[in-house]
Amino acid sequence: MRQERSQITRLEVQIGRMLVAGVTLSALLLAIGLVMWLFDPGYWNALWLLNAGLIVLMATPILRVIVSLAEYVAMRQWFFVAVTTLVLLELTVTVVVAFLKR
Amino acid sequence: MASGAVAGCMGALLGLGGGVFLVPFLNAWFGLDFKTAAAISLITVIATSSAVSAGTTGRNLINLRLGMLLEVASAAGGVAAGLTISHISDVTLERGFAGIAALIAVLMLTRLEPRNVIEDATLDPGSFGGTFHDEESGGEVLYRVRRLPLAMVVSFIAGNVSAAFGIGGGILKVPVLTAWCGVPMRVAAATSSLMIGVTAVASVPIQYANGYVNPPLAGAAVLGVLVGSRGGLWFGARARSKWLKLLMAMILMLVSVIYLRRTL
Repeated sequence: MRQERSQITRLEVQIGRMLVAGVTLSALLLAIGLVMWLFDPGYWNALWLLNAGLIVLMATPILRVIVSLAEYVAMRQWFFVAVTTLVLLELTVTVVVAFLKR
Repeated sequence: MASGAVAGCMGALLGLGGGVFLVPFLNAWFGLDFKTAAAISLITVIATSSAVSAGTTGRNLINLRLGMLLEVASAAGGVAAGLTISHISDVTLERGFAGIAALIAVLMLTRLEPRNVIEDATLDPGSFGGTFHDEESGGEVLYRVRRLPLAMVVSFIAGNVSAAFGIGGGILKVPVLTAWCGVPMRVAAATSSLMIGVTAVASVPIQYANGYVNPPLAGAAVLGVLVGSRGGLWFGARARSKWLKLLMAMILMLVSVIYLRRTL
């Protein structure tokens, strides 16, 4: 039980680091993109950076689910492997529909 | 950007996405149509979720197992709403939402006292419960999770409402988790904060592909929310649970009145 608790805490810390990385990268892209856009709204690089920032932002929670899945597999907690897989499948449906609409 | 900052601060404080404030602002003041306002708000919900959760990890406040289980329901709700919401009229949805928000506000006010913690941390919390260091009583406290099916149903509805209105959905989950499911306020807020990112991602890519997300505006709102959520985290660590609940109930009432007035 103790060991299991510490593994869960490790997962929490891993997730924390990942979220920080995702948010920082996305904020940087958005900030640079926004400044460029304010100087010249027609500049394609500005929009490219803004869109990249938004996509990184949207990808972060999906990555969090993938990291959790890997960790539950490593811990052999099959019930949570199944639960996490279900969440990932639901997100996949949305992403696939979004790609089909583009 | 300023509205993003205020929304982010409130969101971080209460485990909500902050969209409750951003949607009316973008919709009514900025004059964006409802779907665009909701989509931009949902984008900021993801930012709030990641930023706030990154700030609370490592303190055992986020219940990862409970969160992932409830995400099955909330993501399903998000996908379902993302695919079907265009067939339901805005007015119908907004009236329903006004009613739900008012109802929960009343429930919060009548249940201000229970803190859902057992101060003997040596008991078994069960597979979904947990222990954490409580700053109010200064020791390790324990909680057990009750009525999981109810939490699942509410998470599904929260996912629906989240995708439809551009809010996080914490506005529905947190009161139910604290009032009926035995989850302490801080754990409910932290877990909900983590969940809303996945809930939003279950529908926002569809809105993004539909062109409802205006990149410069979304970027400005996200940056504002990120700044604001810092302030919310700072204040949240210092405020008392009872005042958090009171504030939440007042905000719910206000949101209800705003939505009702918009549909009349």
